[in-house]
Amino acid sequence: MAAIYSLYIINKSGGLIFYKDCGTKGRMDTNDSLRVASLWHSMHAISQQLSPVNGCSGIELLEADTFDLHCFQSLPGTKFFVVCEPGTPHMESLLRYIYELYTDYVLKNPFYEIEMPIRCELFDINLTQAVQSDRVALLGR
Amino acid sequence: MAPVGPRSGDAIFSSIDRVNAELFTLTYGAIVRQLLTDLEEVEEVNKQLDQMGYNIGIRLIDEFLAKSGVSRCVDFKETAEMIAKVGFKMFLGVTASVTSWDADGTCCSIILEDNPLVDFVELPDTCQGLYYCNILSGVIRGALEMVSMKTEVTWTRDVLRGDDAYELQVKLLKQVAEEYPYKDDE
Amino acid sequence: MIGVGKMKQYSNVLDKPLSKGKQEVSLTAFAFLFSELVQYNQTQVDNIAELERRLEDAGYAVGSRVLELLCNREKGNRRETRLLGILSFVHSTVWKVLFGKVADSLEKGTEHEDEYMISEKELLVNRFISIPKDMGTFNCGAFVAGIVKGVLDNAGFPAVVTAHFVPIEGQQRPRTTILIKFAEEVLKREARLSQ
Repeated sequence: MAAIYSLYIINKSGGLIFYKDCGTKGRMDTNDSLRVASLWHSMHAISQQLSPVNGCSGIELLEADTFDLHCFQSLPGTKFFVVCEPGTPHMESLLRYIYELYTDYVLKNPFYEIEMPIRCELFDINLTQAVQSDRVALLGR
Repeated sequence: MAPVGPRSGDAIFSSIDRVNAELFTLTYGAIVRQLLTDLEEVEEVNKQLDQMGYNIGIRLIDEFLAKSGVSRCVDFKETAEMIAKVGFKMFLGVTASVTSWDADGTCCSIILEDNPLVDFVELPDTCQGLYYCNILSGVIRGALEMVSMKTEVTWTRDVLRGDDAYELQVKLLKQVAEEYPYKDDE
Repeated sequence: MIGVGKMKQYSNVLDKPLSKGKQEVSLTAFAFLFSELVQYNQTQVDNIAELERRLEDAGYAVGSRVLELLCNREKGNRRETRLLGILSFVHSTVWKVLFGKVADSLEKGTEHEDEYMISEKELLVNRFISIPKDMGTFNCGAFVAGIVKGVLDNAGFPAVVTAHFVPIEGQQRPRTTILIKFAEEVLKREARLSQ
């Protein structure tokens, strides 16, 4: 089973509001994760400019020899992306599911301030369960 | 699983978790009572209810999009239909209809066929200026702002104030163009 | 009188027939409304004890109305006069109507004669809420404690009602216990009635 390296959520203005690494490989310290988030925010924006036709919403999948990066951007502009081993399946479904967890356990929490870093225990608990590989496989069904 | 295309409001409402409307109605009543006690002026209460609705709207839009499978609407007409047919149904379990479009398609009315906020409610003489349901107009304004539409939402008819229906006027002020978010100094 | 729209009008809210209580809204709508209630009240207080008190007040307003409504609709205007009767009314009837299920448990306190506990593994109002570390033992269930107090007070059973997190062994999340401490007069009356 191919592994998930890490998960990121970035707000509308490109600030990293959530980071989680999922295994032993590909870990990043705080500075590096902030750098990746900001890099990705910019690359995602630039990629929209690459489109020869109007209405491009940016890169959804970046494939490289050492990793895949899947990105989902909600219409209001929050970006969710997952970095994983090349060829890891069901990542689109996982991102959709994480988006739903975010609408439940982050946005409905009165103590969460919008656009700010996410520190919600219930979100962490549910997310940790979701990224376990057997759960991810279920999402793909 | 990624939802394929927009789902109907009925289908979503029957598939999600629901609660007894009375808990919702009475909790809303408790909020209005607190505001009337804290703020004293009815006009201030109207403003606060609208603000609370706005705060809800800017958060609720994500759930609307995630659960409904709705993506970008082609125009404001489609947006208004989505609010009435999908939004009101999936969150409040009520049906609403869109009427009274102006010539350039930027202003319309949404008429609620039922309104769970007002069960048990009658406005006392001291609260005649109160827009009891003002939270709803705030929700619409907040939600639309998150998808780049600046709107003005006002109550044009209110049964609690003696009218024969609940009617909201939604007016599109400005469609904010998607901005190129990359700045040189970043 | 029927208006132009589909809404039926009544000259007085009391003329309107009492609804059967079968209407529903999404949990989402309630969760966002409750979240706003908590956020608004946070702006009105300086400390957590005050926040608890204000949420309890809001709940109290709900509780007193729920009592009226349910006595009328579910119990044919009969009211409970005995302690266990009213507790079971709260734990079963009130819970079922408001939260869609009977509460997980109703127990008598082991240390104090005047204490009872209603516990819920996952209180509906807490479903999506994570309490920040700096708020300590604060529990938004204070709102539900207020509902319980509103029902009990208005039924003639004054009590102090509080909400607490109680850890469960082997579970990541604590349950919420609503602790009811009845006023002395209630217990005295109960003792008289039991004779």
